[in-house]
Amino acid sequence: MTSWKNTLSERIPTDLAEEIDAFASQIKLKKQGKVDDKLFAETRLRRGAYGQRYDNGQRHDGIETRELHFPTNATKGPDTLWDAPGMQRIKIPFGGLSTEQMEALADLAEEYSDAICHITTRQDVQLHYVHIDDTPDLMRRLAAVGITTREACGNSVRNVTACPVAGVCHDESFDITPYARAMAYFLLGHPDTQDFGRKFKVAFSGCKDKACGLTNIHDLGLIARKKVIDGKEKRGFEMFVGGGLGPVPYEARLLDEFVAEEEILPLAQAISRVFARLGEKRNRGRARLKFLVDKLGIDEFRRLVIEERKTLPHDDRWIGYLDEVRAWEETPVRKPAELTAVSNDEEFNVWRDSNTYGQRQQGYSVATIRLPLGDITSWQMRQLADVARKYCGDNIRTTVEQNIVLRWVANGDLPALYDELKHLGLAQPGAGTIFDVVSCPGTDTCKLGISSSRGLAGELHERLATRYQQFDSAIQGLHIKISGCFNSCGQHHLADLGFYGVSRKMNGATVPHFRVVLGGQWEQNGGSYGMTIGAVPSKRVPDFIDRITGKYLEERHGNETFQAFVQRIGKRELKKVVDELASVPPYALDPTYYSDWRDPREYSISDIGVGECAGEVVSRIDFDLNNAERLYFEAQLAHEEGALRKADETAFSAMIAAAGGLVRLQNPSIPDDPEQVVPEFRKRYYDTRLFFDKYAGGKFAEYLFNHHEQRNSDLTADRVRLLLEETQLFIEATHACNARLMEQADNERKSTGDKTSARDKTANAANA
Amino acid sequence: MITDLHKLGIKFFNKSGADMPLTDFIPVFHDWIQNNRLDDLLIDVADYSHVPAGPGTMLIAHEGNYAIDETGNQRGFLYYSKHEVPGDTVAERLASVCYRNLSACKLLEEEERTRDRMSLDYGRMEIFSNDRLHGPRTDEALAAFKPQVEQFLNRLYPHTDYEIDYKNSDPRERLLAKVMIHDAADKADTLLPRTRTDSL
Repeated sequence: MTSWKNTLSERIPTDLAEEIDAFASQIKLKKQGKVDDKLFAETRLRRGAYGQRYDNGQRHDGIETRELHFPTNATKGPDTLWDAPGMQRIKIPFGGLSTEQMEALADLAEEYSDAICHITTRQDVQLHYVHIDDTPDLMRRLAAVGITTREACGNSVRNVTACPVAGVCHDESFDITPYARAMAYFLLGHPDTQDFGRKFKVAFSGCKDKACGLTNIHDLGLIARKKVIDGKEKRGFEMFVGGGLGPVPYEARLLDEFVAEEEILPLAQAISRVFARLGEKRNRGRARLKFLVDKLGIDEFRRLVIEERKTLPHDDRWIGYLDEVRAWEETPVRKPAELTAVSNDEEFNVWRDSNTYGQRQQGYSVATIRLPLGDITSWQMRQLADVARKYCGDNIRTTVEQNIVLRWVANGDLPALYDELKHLGLAQPGAGTIFDVVSCPGTDTCKLGISSSRGLAGELHERLATRYQQFDSAIQGLHIKISGCFNSCGQHHLADLGFYGVSRKMNGATVPHFRVVLGGQWEQNGGSYGMTIGAVPSKRVPDFIDRITGKYLEERHGNETFQAFVQRIGKRELKKVVDELASVPPYALDPTYYSDWRDPREYSISDIGVGECAGEVVSRIDFDLNNAERLYFEAQLAHEEGALRKADETAFSAMIAAAGGLVRLQNPSIPDDPEQVVPEFRKRYYDTRLFFDKYAGGKFAEYLFNHHEQRNSDLTADRVRLLLEETQLFIEATHACNARLMEQADNERKSTGDKTSARDKTANAANA
Repeated sequence: MITDLHKLGIKFFNKSGADMPLTDFIPVFHDWIQNNRLDDLLIDVADYSHVPAGPGTMLIAHEGNYAIDETGNQRGFLYYSKHEVPGDTVAERLASVCYRNLSACKLLEEEERTRDRMSLDYGRMEIFSNDRLHGPRTDEALAAFKPQVEQFLNRLYPHTDYEIDYKNSDPRERLLAKVMIHDAADKADTLLPRTRTDSL
């Protein structure tokens, strides 16, 4: 019988073929019931085969949660059904693609997915709605064009990302591409990277000031540097560790200001060993390298790495890769040429202004293909491969802004390139502007999504398409980034206007919201993170953007940047704008607020996870949560003013107010005394797992316990900032727990035929 | 081998309503899921209205995907199978795929929110293999595909002549037949019984 395995046997390297065959065998064994669920889940994750929303066979259809009756009850992981569609993540080291690889991706998206290739914020490609049975062949077809999905997910070294203009950039010290490539393949499958408690992300940047590499948000970040040693110029890297976004963002710490190129691989290996040995394994919420670096302190971490480095057995690859570095070069397919005439085509001129970047090499440019929401169809991908062959060859890269760039395009070819892209629907202008909205998959396909980040991004995309060119240039240059939850896959912390999905119980129903994060810094490799201000209903986010940008235009001082403006006017003033838009009309007056963007189902968070029944829900918790929000805001202000002790104490009070609210659902007599609230909360919500988020487990409750135990410890501004982040997440988790309890009460009411809705009960209790 | 081909697709082109916003179909598809309006296990709705000439608005099912599809800048209603479909021959499997497609088209025709705003032309369609292993775009596969397509079309339109264009300048594209019938096309209601098989 014809098979891809036989058809491609000559084209797949033996080691890759064996790996994929082994995975195919695991699938067979799992089907025979011979592999444990957890083991199989980690096995497939390490091959990039991820779960997707509703893969537990439950879906809320807007009326109730219903079972999806797949053909079999077999599972591919704990609570994950075999036949449920999944996501396949495909690692693209440094974002580098060839035309042949683009064609393969196009075919795979068409045959196994939904004819869409999705570019992620870490330069990967993702295919959605893929059946697990199709994954071995999908992987074989990728392997035949030199792509492996190995370690694309799971507790492993994820895709090594890099600046997409490396090698052609005006600001870089040198081209980091071959270094990123070497690092990716050195760490791939390395024995010292197989025992991590959590994922490990690496990024390279050619310079310090621009955004491109985003080294500040990575577990390991390397910035190119040159240094004169003994009269000779040496190449090396400024090395940072322990950065990361996620629920609690950490900025990376400097490990070494200059690591010679001969040392970057062994040092990365030593870091991996220290991480594997000392990193948290049981508590996933604290298992990233950032927590280890924070716990040990950068000096102790550095000492351990240096000690570890001394013990490593020599590996020829440490310096062997330098031959490839020296030989690395990109070959343009066209001779350099300048644009000889000014174009009268206004659309082309707009596109050229925003979507092209003049290379360091005379006569060439980088052209950005702006992909709406990071999506490109199979047909477009195939045609784009042809266009690339004609104008730039295999010099193609994906970007962390979810776009594709064509490098080494002769300037003289830009009008013709534009025309061809236009024919493909790929000539949208506005790359890197406010129109170029970045979004993670959110509730569309992600199991963790709380609000519809893509729905909101799609809506903004449509609204901005006709307006953004009329905006003041100060507004045009802003970045919007959206995550569907606190996990930050949309990199909202780095945006001028960042948003992440949360939910709120309002008027007795659950309403999708986005928390606003303002003034993050995209430049300087993601230099600083934005301020969390408050939450607005999803449907009011476009209005919020209009108001805050309008306020910026009206009130800015001279050429003040948006970041500087946000810092200057401060949280109190910004919060007013949020509060103006915080209200939600009753359902009867306007039901649209109670569903999410581009998803007409009545909003529910039950697809994220359902806890145990907590009995009757009373409305005092709404007041308690509101109080917690207020205290949290005051804590932020105190932090901003440098009153660290006050900020710490107020943040803790906010946690106690939120926890107390939940405790009082079961024991109304408990006062806001931490010594009573914390043990009661532990007993009633932690030990019973009632507070547990389906995917985060008890992580957020531990923030409360840790804060309670470590009060009066030494405080630094950075430490308090982290405590504030944890406070905010704890309050969010309390909102989510409350919403789950309300929905459960509603479901119970339905099943017992009780005519009084939880909403009515809430109102009755409030009146009482 | 084309005999092993199960991943097949059919797209009926729009007669009118190609300018209707793609997002207007999102609530329609969600309603179909809520009310189990189709035989397939309906899972979710995927919105690709932001992508030019793309898969538009999709209704994702376990057995196959439905879409208001705009590939090639031509809007139409698409269904393609993702797993094994009933039928001993490719022609019979095409009938099964067509049945699923027409069942959804019939719902659209009956749907209050869409029936006056769009219509489909069941006399203009694309039939394709979505499997480059068992149905590649080769001369050999095309030779085996042609009689199966014709057998299926004779069943769908037993008394009507039709033209089939198998040409496609791009060898990387899927094995594809573009069909145009000579007479006025029938309605979904009329065509459905012709595609029904006992196993459906």
